[in-house]
Amino acid sequence: MLTMTLAENEQLKVEDLIVRFYTYEGIVKAVEKANLNLRKGETLGVVGETGSGKSVTALTIMALTPTPGKVEGGHIYFRRSTGEIVDVLTLKEEGLLKIRGKEISMIFQEPNAALDPLYTVGDQIAEAILTHRLPEMLEKVGRLEGEETKGLWAFLEKLPVFKGSIKKRLLNEVVRQEIVELLKLMEIPDPERVVDAYPHELSGGMQQRIVIAIALACSPTLLLADEPTTNLDVTVQAQILDLIMRLKRKFGTSVIYITHDMGVIAEISDRVAVMYAGRVVEVAPTMEIFKNPLHPYTRALLESIPRPGLSFKAIPGTVPNLVNPPSGCRFHPRCSYAMERCSRETPELREISKEHLVACFLHGGA
Amino acid sequence: MMSKTKFWSAENPRIKELVFVLKKMRSSPLSIVGLSIVVFFTILAILAPVLAPPQTDRDPYIMPRTGYSPTPKPPSSENIFGTTEGQYDLYYGVIWGARAAYRIGLLVVAVSAIIGIVVGGLAGYYKGVIDEVLMRLTDIILAFPGLILAMAFVVAFGRGLDSITLALILVWWPSYARLIRGEFLRVTAEDFVEAAKAVGCSDLRIMLRHVLPNTIFPMIIMASLDIGSVTLTAAALSFLGLGAPAGYSDWGQIISLSRNWITGVPGNPFAYWHAYIIPGIFLFLFVIGWNLLGDALRDILDPMIRRR
Repeated sequence: MLTMTLAENEQLKVEDLIVRFYTYEGIVKAVEKANLNLRKGETLGVVGETGSGKSVTALTIMALTPTPGKVEGGHIYFRRSTGEIVDVLTLKEEGLLKIRGKEISMIFQEPNAALDPLYTVGDQIAEAILTHRLPEMLEKVGRLEGEETKGLWAFLEKLPVFKGSIKKRLLNEVVRQEIVELLKLMEIPDPERVVDAYPHELSGGMQQRIVIAIALACSPTLLLADEPTTNLDVTVQAQILDLIMRLKRKFGTSVIYITHDMGVIAEISDRVAVMYAGRVVEVAPTMEIFKNPLHPYTRALLESIPRPGLSFKAIPGTVPNLVNPPSGCRFHPRCSYAMERCSRETPELREISKEHLVACFLHGGA
Repeated sequence: MMSKTKFWSAENPRIKELVFVLKKMRSSPLSIVGLSIVVFFTILAILAPVLAPPQTDRDPYIMPRTGYSPTPKPPSSENIFGTTEGQYDLYYGVIWGARAAYRIGLLVVAVSAIIGIVVGGLAGYYKGVIDEVLMRLTDIILAFPGLILAMAFVVAFGRGLDSITLALILVWWPSYARLIRGEFLRVTAEDFVEAAKAVGCSDLRIMLRHVLPNTIFPMIIMASLDIGSVTLTAAALSFLGLGAPAGYSDWGQIISLSRNWITGVPGNPFAYWHAYIIPGIFLFLFVIGWNLLGDALRDILDPMIRRR
């Protein structure tokens, strides 16, 4: 039924997504008709200021819209690993539990906060593995079991208290091996020791590697990275970016990378989507965005990157209050090219040249 | 669970934690006092049948009596703590009273805590309408003064220790529900809960594995402080004549037996001191022991005062 909604090479498509937050101050129109698409194996960078709806969009892709947010419209089509195409927003909870962590997973901004302080790193990775890959692990256990059932253990197995203890022990061992392998992939030194460490015993960079390990434990087809390097040192940041990109290629994962750092975008993404006040205003290949930015907001964003020797321009005004967003194009009060029409009508995202989409009346918007 | 290090080795973080707690405790004399008192009463309760063997096949909580004279007798070689009104043996009474105190204290606190976890947990996790309904329900109970409401319940259920227990549970759970709700609200806002959802954990698993363990410290502190106050409230109800039947080994009930003798005789106000001082001291020590222990736990477990 939904097969026609995704093109052959597309992994994910967000269509006219509307997310609103019902707060005491009023209805916050956090995401208003946002459109995005992501191809298989591609890295899409999503840029925008704080409050532009980047993170809300990402969480909504997993159907985890933070309360009191409500999805008020739109579709999120996702191609499952089975080839089936689903609309995430219409899935039941049981269906979502099978997708979350297995086919779509997420890397969070604060590695320190994203790990439960009470469990060891190993336990937390094991949770992801045991939630989605238990049959596979049990199969491995089954292969080992034959060799182990002799001697003292075989005797203990006959006692009611110890029934199933061999299986449990073997499962622990198998999962542990799996975790150590995963940690090695994450380039964590001394993985045998780190497995038993608690999150607070690790540095920020190490913690983020663990969070990435959890996200990749089930080799997902889509990885959502929500500013994963914002809180890290620049050197660590480079390492983590490098790691994500290498793992992405290894697992063939598609990535949506959310950030407000244009430098990071330039480095890792194939295409860029620029969000402003809950709308996607421009989508283009990375080189194109930097060479030929069309939307006035994208231009302003690029000009506001500080460069040595050049004075940088801040964008005048502030991000609009999304309870009462400006009419028409939401950027028009801050836009130096604003026309009278901009405050009346909302420009649609349309393709200007190949692969380059922009929502602005300056560029043939209707 | 995954640990390869031996459970009892000093490397195990759980053992490290235990050693840390014990060290912290040793440095504070009051917590040592509290802990010793609690340990003393626990031993007393466990060894009650050895220290004061029941003489008949009847309910062992009923104190044996050596006569029917109303006047309390002072301590003697036969009754080392003396007897109270009706010639009930005080030594037997205070020792089995420790058992009765634990029975009420632990039962009330444990059941209240479980109800509180369920109600507060659901309210704090799901928020919205569920939260509103459950919390208004707890507010209704919290609106009445605890002791008065408990008395009303006891009167409705009929006199007896079981009624007291039930009444106290009904009065006690709302404070746990509130505490747990607040803690759930705090913890569910943390990123790791979001992360657990993103991994694909079910709500129940997130509540039990990630949220509840992170709220448990304030619970432990509150529970240990409450065991003392529950016992005290139960004793108050017994003293008012609503609790255990006459002759039952319950400190409040024993003190209530001495009600007519508290003023002593003309010229000697302390003539029958043992009848109320001895059970009073046991009750006092029990409550203060648990309070000191609770305070000590608060100091140790409070993350703000902790080393990290």
